[in-house]
Amino acid sequence: MPNYPVKVYRQAMVILDSSSKLPDTSVSPYAQTVQVKLSATGFTDVMPTETLIVTTFSSVPVIWESELRQQEYQELGAALSEMTKFEEGDEWKIDPPVYNAACYVAAGLLAHSFPAPRVFNHGSKSVVFNWSYGADNMYLTISADHISALISSPERIKRRVEYSVNELVDPSIALLSIRAAYFKKPVRRLVTGAVSDPAEFVG
Amino acid sequence: MSGMRCGGYIPDGDSLFRQSVHPISFKGPSFAWDKCLNLSDQDDGALLGSLTWERYVPTEELIHGYGCRLAFRRNERKLAAAKLKNAEAKLKEKDRQVYCGAYELKGKAIRNLQATEGLDEVLSADVVHHVEVQGEIAHADLRILLKPGSVASVEGTKTAIVDRLWNNSSGPLRHICDCDRDIAEHPSASLITPPGGAYSDTRSYLLRFWCIVRFQICSWLWRNNFWH
Repeated sequence: MPNYPVKVYRQAMVILDSSSKLPDTSVSPYAQTVQVKLSATGFTDVMPTETLIVTTFSSVPVIWESELRQQEYQELGAALSEMTKFEEGDEWKIDPPVYNAACYVAAGLLAHSFPAPRVFNHGSKSVVFNWSYGADNMYLTISADHISALISSPERIKRRVEYSVNELVDPSIALLSIRAAYFKKPVRRLVTGAVSDPAEFVG
Repeated sequence: MSGMRCGGYIPDGDSLFRQSVHPISFKGPSFAWDKCLNLSDQDDGALLGSLTWERYVPTEELIHGYGCRLAFRRNERKLAAAKLKNAEAKLKEKDRQVYCGAYELKGKAIRNLQATEGLDEVLSADVVHHVEVQGEIAHADLRILLKPGSVASVEGTKTAIVDRLWNNSSGPLRHICDCDRDIAEHPSASLITPPGGAYSDTRSYLLRFWCIVRFQICSWLWRNNFWH
């Protein structure tokens, strides 16, 4: 008979992005968590910011954002794989060529540091990746030989761009331009690839 | 006030409802609003969806009654299919269809798809009263025609249509059918509020009363073969 935990506690966690630097602390980032009631003691008012950060890091597990993202993408891969195994006629079933295309795009998304998307479908012929950013939504509708990108707000459709399979031999430019448009981050233009008009997405 | 016609044109201001059923509209324990409306491809290139017309479900009780019957029929079909393989088969819990509630759309929101910026490929979008073979007189077809040759892949168009309709929806109207009261954690709790906000029945008391009277008369006429 396994021993199940009898108590569950909330655990704060620090997530570092790729540009972050781990504070210099001799304590392991995975050291035992201690309860610190900062506000109750006026602790934050008297302690220098640097000391506060080090103290916080010494008591809270730290994880790199990329580690977390990889785990999320593993879950996405598992979900896509599961969708190929549903019985014929199941609303969530997708065709193997759609699965292959979705995995290919997912690998590109991970490589370009996109957060893992939600996934749904319209039937067996496509998979849709979806991200929410505030009230806006971004979708990549992936069929076996085609990708449609859509950015929308509650009021209107902001952008739609179609990509054929030939344009996705190297999806770098397409993904970077989508990323720039949606996440409002600067686009790094690549000179390789053959996207018809990425500028349309960059705006 | 609306006229006494039973069938025919669905006015822009009339409400239409989309019933949400678990597990189709869910991804694991989470409600997947994008799966709430299924657009199927027709032989003539049209996209077809199913809704219910307020005229024949003028009260929340009737809206949910439709949803409960919908889930019940799907369970019956799944059980019948299982029994073809094994006469002793029972419906698997994971296959059990559970009605969770409904979302509302106005007829105008559907017809506006035709003029929506960014949806240039839509030739026409309409909602048409279409009584189902099971005798569900509230059923309506959501029918969208695309301009021939206007899109390389219709799948992206479906995403854009579902996105627009979800953003114009209101709700949810949650419900637990009597047959599902044994479910400890009913999935209706996972339904989320769409960008259009919570559903509010803005009809006056008098108009609601008239809608119910009209529904009763039309139902009676239908059952007695006066208008089909």
